[in-house]
Amino acid sequence: MNDFAIEMSGVSKRYRFFSLEDIRLNVPEGQIMGLIGPNGAGKSTTIRILLGLVHQDEGEVRVLNRRMPAEQIGAKWDIGFASEDMRLYESMTLDWHMRFIRSIYPGWDAPYAQLLLKRFGLRAEQKIKGLSHGQRVKATLLLVLARRPKLLVLDEPTTGLDPVARHEILRELTSVMADEGRSILFSSHHTQDVEQISDRITFIDRGRILDSMDKEVYLDRWRRLRLETPAGVELPALPGIIGVRQEGRLAVATANAFIPDLVGAYESAGARVQRVESMTLEEIFVANVEYSREREEVQA
Amino acid sequence: MRGSVVGQLILKDWVLYRTQLLLMIAGGAIGLAVVLRGGQGPFTIGAVAFFVAMVLVAHMLPMAGIVNERKNKNLAFLMSLPISSTQYTTSKLISTFGLFLISWLTLVAAAVVLIETRGMAPRGFIPMLLILALLPFVGFCLMTSAALVGETEGWAIAANVACSSSYGLIWTYMVQVPALTANAAGPVPVWNSTVLRILGVELGLIVLILALTYYLQSRKRDFI
Amino acid sequence: MTASWDSVYTVYTEMDGAFTISQSDKRAMYLQIMEQIKQRIALGDWKEGQPIPSIRQLAVDLQISVITGKRAYLELEREGVIVTQQGKGSRVASKPGLGMQLREQELEQHLEQAARIAGLLGMRPRELEERLREAGDRLNHRKAEKETV
Repeated sequence: MNDFAIEMSGVSKRYRFFSLEDIRLNVPEGQIMGLIGPNGAGKSTTIRILLGLVHQDEGEVRVLNRRMPAEQIGAKWDIGFASEDMRLYESMTLDWHMRFIRSIYPGWDAPYAQLLLKRFGLRAEQKIKGLSHGQRVKATLLLVLARRPKLLVLDEPTTGLDPVARHEILRELTSVMADEGRSILFSSHHTQDVEQISDRITFIDRGRILDSMDKEVYLDRWRRLRLETPAGVELPALPGIIGVRQEGRLAVATANAFIPDLVGAYESAGARVQRVESMTLEEIFVANVEYSREREEVQA
Repeated sequence: MRGSVVGQLILKDWVLYRTQLLLMIAGGAIGLAVVLRGGQGPFTIGAVAFFVAMVLVAHMLPMAGIVNERKNKNLAFLMSLPISSTQYTTSKLISTFGLFLISWLTLVAAAVVLIETRGMAPRGFIPMLLILALLPFVGFCLMTSAALVGETEGWAIAANVACSSSYGLIWTYMVQVPALTANAAGPVPVWNSTVLRILGVELGLIVLILALTYYLQSRKRDFI
Repeated sequence: MTASWDSVYTVYTEMDGAFTISQSDKRAMYLQIMEQIKQRIALGDWKEGQPIPSIRQLAVDLQISVITGKRAYLELEREGVIVTQQGKGSRVASKPGLGMQLREQELEQHLEQAARIAGLLGMRPRELEERLREAGDRLNHRKAEKETV
């Protein structure tokens, strides 16, 4: 019995203008992992490698205890995949798609499918081409959810949806968690959604993993310290502080490994700590990317 | 279990493309009907319509069934199903081939039957008919292969253009080969060595292209 | 009431619709959850010894991550507000006067907050007392008005 739904280690994939390097990612069974990162960071490539649609150049990938891409057929029986660049057949109805999926997968839950139709406000007799973008996304997700797969891999499931639709999707995703044996990995630009429902967060930028850990721990590590520096006081470089922005006598120090001692350390150096603020995932996102890119440039 | 997923995919293609297919068979049938009316003019028009219908099917199926599936981003949906890329290739080849064979066999069989029973053309023409009818078949294989392996519309169109421009040339060449034309107007179909050689080449090409397609598809590391 | 459509899972105390996580609230989600649970206990809506939703059920009902629920419950248990037993789920602690105790805690927090802000404003303790009295009067006045209407 394996405890992990997804295990990736040392995974690399090289393209002409972009490469994924040394990706390490683990999703324990029964958890939701949120994958965040700027556009072009490598989220979609990582997800495709998980599905066996792209073969990694190096590294091991195990999904539901199956090696990928070699055992992708077996794995895909239990994976529900939906991505932003996936489309249903325009000329066919939603009902046709439902019957199509039903004819393949034994786990199709018809009553749940009907419930989802109602909840999502979709009509099965409608042709896909007659649906709005948001309805199409919901239709695709319905096809994936009604199968009750052990693992859901979703690439941007809420992108382009209005707030109500997003809320509906989040509701269904969290309801999946009522079953301890089921897991979800999803990528999203809506940091609020990721912050709300993820158990773990993985942060990717320019083909490299910046952070991957428990969400609560992660949020606890990041703090913004607002400082006042009297004339002649130089702020010391402290471990756990990822960067400082100074303007005149005011400074903002961003900590990515915050410990209460840092406050004392600054005050000993002569600075006054006005406030210690926690940061939303969105603020962390921006700070993380900005500072890590700055670091890269300095090293280059 | 695996077989049935491929089966479902083939079924799906049948449902998606059957209307277009039937329309084209109808077009070919109309061509035959025109030829039947007799006379040199109708023969030419009808024969042309007949072959055009066949060529249309040969070119439409790969475009609609393969290229568009990728262009319309249906491929990710299909590959999320429990199949490998090889199985996808298999299902595509079977369904596309199957659909093409149905129309091709229908039209060729109809033509042969009409020649035998209604004297639509001299029976000596049958070998020639087969040779000419196999041309779009080879073209179809090339188009299908280009669509699957090349992945983009560009490759399919290139194959399309290459084939379309070749038919006319090959046809013109063929009608100048004495071993073929000598018996074309006769009452008996003559299967001499030239005929058999040419048929062999055509069938051989079909097999070769298929094998090559499978090989190239299996080597792909980025399926999407 | 968010009743689960699939009651194959644990039988639970249904979550009332007043339980919401505010996105604009700067505090961490688990703190918000803890506060709302404590409020319900303080008000007597959730009685001592009453079973409460499992962490998973909480996550589903509130659309939050399981880990956030876990943290909230862990902290609540540490504070003695709830009790979790292996295989039996979680309950409100059966401490007599728990409701009262939580109320007291809340009052303390608010008073400290008021004192801190008063300090920032440079207010003297006497002024703060005055303001507190005034606030109490206003509250009573409003209550009286409502009753006469």
